[in-house]
Amino acid sequence: MTWLYLALGTVFGFILSRSGAADYGFIQGMFLFTEFQLYGIIAVAVMVTAPGIWLIKRRGRTFQGRPVSIELKPLHRGNIVGGALFGVGWSLAGMCPGPILVNIGEGKVYALAALAGALVGAGLLGSLYPVFQRPLGLPPLKVGTGEG
Amino acid sequence: MSLILHNLQPLHWALAGVGIAGVTLALLFLANRRLGISTGLEDICSLVLPAPYFRRAAVLSGRGWRLPLLGGLVLGGFLSAVLSGGWEPTWAMGLFDRAIGLGPAGKLAWMFVGGLFIGFGTRLAGGCTSGHGIFGLANLEFPSLLSTVSFMAAGIATTQVVYRVLFPLGAP
Repeated sequence: MTWLYLALGTVFGFILSRSGAADYGFIQGMFLFTEFQLYGIIAVAVMVTAPGIWLIKRRGRTFQGRPVSIELKPLHRGNIVGGALFGVGWSLAGMCPGPILVNIGEGKVYALAALAGALVGAGLLGSLYPVFQRPLGLPPLKVGTGEG
Repeated sequence: MSLILHNLQPLHWALAGVGIAGVTLALLFLANRRLGISTGLEDICSLVLPAPYFRRAAVLSGRGWRLPLLGGLVLGGFLSAVLSGGWEPTWAMGLFDRAIGLGPAGKLAWMFVGGLFIGFGTRLAGGCTSGHGIFGLANLEFPSLLSTVSFMAAGIATTQVVYRVLFPLGAP
């Protein structure tokens, strides 16, 4: 299975690289409303994924016949606060988490600093989780904020 | 507009969207996994950090599939460069170079700060563009709608301030 994940990641990375999703200029163009590209990509991806998930859930079984299980993300104030902080970062770096790795693969040296920052940021949130838990109404530590 | 990578013309947006949907659905149908990249940051942290948050079953059990997926993203970017004119390290940032024009040290600092917001924000939100924006929205999950609206709004506000107020030079 490891090879399947590596292969799917490679295809995903190639598409992100060639579509503009991992390109600083296209990300700024999206946020400046001067480039439609990323809005088109996200809209089509969601509109095609939605009926696909619905069909897979209706079938109820994966390819190997195991019951389909989708862990839903919990609702908490972190969804909004964290989302807003991430939006600032996405704009500054011109990359979201997947494209950070894609840009490193492409050879964009500065993406290494974005990865370092992202790891420190994730490390801070995880290490300080109990501090933010009550003010932001976060789920118990065992549950976490949501995987994904 | 062309990509920074070898000035390539980008894939058509509809084709890219269908491709991303294909990967998302293959991950669910073949492997029973919900797409999500930002938890991978926690998986990497869990390799070195001892905090209880990183010893959760949800983090440790996901390493076996998320880390190869993340490795694939790097490989996909590498192949994309190799197949389009060759791989070489670059500092080019297009619009950033024209409007802000910081050198390598400035870029590293700028990117590190951006990365801090990305890592802390996505993990506080419980997902990023993939887990909330693609999978969560497609699965009609309310927390994902809240998060997606938040990060799009904050992204728009930040870029508008950076490129229309602070460094208003040559729109893309």
